Amino acid sequence: MTTCGCAHHTPPRVLENVTVVANDRVAQGVGLVTFDSPRIARDIQPGQFVHLRIAQGVDYLLRRPFSIYRAHAGRLEILYQVVGRGTRDLALATPGTEMDMVGPLGCGWRIADSTTHALLVSGGLGAAPLGMLAEELAERGIAVTVAMGAPCGERLVGRDLFERVARRVEIATDDGSCGTAGFVTGVCGEMVAEGGYDAVYTCGPEPMQRIVAAQAAEAEVACQVSLERLMACGIGVCLSCVVETKCGLRRACVDGPVFYAKEVVWDSAHDVTCER
Amino acid sequence: MNVNVDMSVNIGGLSLRAPLLTASGTFGSAREFSELIDLNRLGAVVTKGVSLEPWEGNPAPRIAETSSGMLNSIGLQNAGVESFCVNDLAWLESEAPQVPVIVNVSGHTVEEYVAVIDRLEWEPFIAGYEVNISCPNVDAGGMAFGTSCASAAEVTRACRGSTERPLIVKLSPNVTDIAGIATAVEAEGADAVSLINTLLGMAIDVGTFRPKLARGVGGLSGPAIKPVAVRMVWQVARAVTIPVIGMGGIMTAEDAIEFMLAGATAVAVGTANFVDPTSTVRIVDGMAEFCHARGIERVADLTGAVLA
Repeated sequence: MTTCGCAHHTPPRVLENVTVVANDRVAQGVGLVTFDSPRIARDIQPGQFVHLRIAQGVDYLLRRPFSIYRAHAGRLEILYQVVGRGTRDLALATPGTEMDMVGPLGCGWRIADSTTHALLVSGGLGAAPLGMLAEELAERGIAVTVAMGAPCGERLVGRDLFERVARRVEIATDDGSCGTAGFVTGVCGEMVAEGGYDAVYTCGPEPMQRIVAAQAAEAEVACQVSLERLMACGIGVCLSCVVETKCGLRRACVDGPVFYAKEVVWDSAHDVTCER
Repeated sequence: MNVNVDMSVNIGGLSLRAPLLTASGTFGSAREFSELIDLNRLGAVVTKGVSLEPWEGNPAPRIAETSSGMLNSIGLQNAGVESFCVNDLAWLESEAPQVPVIVNVSGHTVEEYVAVIDRLEWEPFIAGYEVNISCPNVDAGGMAFGTSCASAAEVTRACRGSTERPLIVKLSPNVTDIAGIATAVEAEGADAVSLINTLLGMAIDVGTFRPKLARGVGGLSGPAIKPVAVRMVWQVARAVTIPVIGMGGIMTAEDAIEFMLAGATAVAVGTANFVDPTSTVRIVDGMAEFCHARGIERVADLTGAVLA
């Protein structure tokens, strides 16, 4: 029997009280919040996520799942887009604000020992789980190339980090205000076709990930995707965040959020961003 | 914690060390919580609903957040009773042998409920059953059985015929007279009733004009439903002599105490497990502290103690 999603060992999950250290706007509608979170920052792997309780005593209850952009020196950096009440409250959090998070959660990016050159494809806030991966790959001596896209130059996220660790960064914007005009999938398609990559990692709007997955499949390069789903528990019990895979329904929170693209049964019902 | 309060309660012959259970469907089969809490602190684990064959559940989106609550339409996705016994039950028996396990049983037909129990009767490590006649998210079975006295009685009678283990029937709030249903299942030999399951609800995205749940409607849970649940526990506790397990929006020890005062012998914690995975033990501790601070020696003394 084949399995889809995570099989390898993940670090134990904990509930940790965390403190906001910094919280700044880094692009149009996008913030970067840094938490003092020694325990989770020590254990979390690239592509894993945390489940953050942003506020208490409010009339929305659920935690919000966030990818980790960077983890270093006991701190976690999270890129977020203001899309609903939870993220609006997060944007207003000042340094010193206390919250709690459950983590590390989920199954992150897999890095094969044989990987020599990885292509990372980021669409909009897709940089959120890719920053930590780019740093990890570079640290292991694996060459990193990045294709990143956004609606416009003001909404490009993660460029500094990618330019620091990648040997090449290609940019596409819908309006042409930065880099090539058009979707990142155009740039990415040409790069994948040129060859030379033995792994593709992508995160962004689901239609974009679907196209990148097809391009990688065409070039016969293994592709991993990080999927977003509405989530309640984050630890595998509520079955809210199911992803249809070739081996049946899998939970984004424990079997993902990272999946091999070839496992995923793509469904346009998930093309909208979760409004949280 | 050094508070001298007797926290034990008895549910239909089943002795529990604490008056707190997990609400079915919010705790899996406990394994996922074992890193975060000491399962031995719980009165019992009530498992996710188990059916005869694997069920796929409903399309996503399956949840929507609403004011002080959430809607879900999971649809009882589960891998079936055989997988449950081999994987979940085996894990519980080996890793949490001291914790009573109550298996929540689901079916599309009366025969399916009975078949699930018949299979589970072969497993020694089961403390009792909770019969789910109240899920609002499946087309056949589920809530359909729990909304008339006759069908609720029929399912209870059939399940009773298959087991001598404690049999709890979980009731739906989507009825006119929940006390009447409770009386009907008591007459057929139920050892206890648990209530409430979720309230049927709906939310619509005004941006897209579409329901927020793929299935359209779903079950509302969380603090939003607590006053309805407390009222129903109060009504049922006055109508039956069997124990009542109260649930619906319990987030704090004070919420749990409120259900006990209304007539519950024990409580169950559900949606709070998603918000704070340590909710169950925090609430048990808070209930003991509450009793200690007021000189209440037995938590069971709270049951039905609401002043008229």
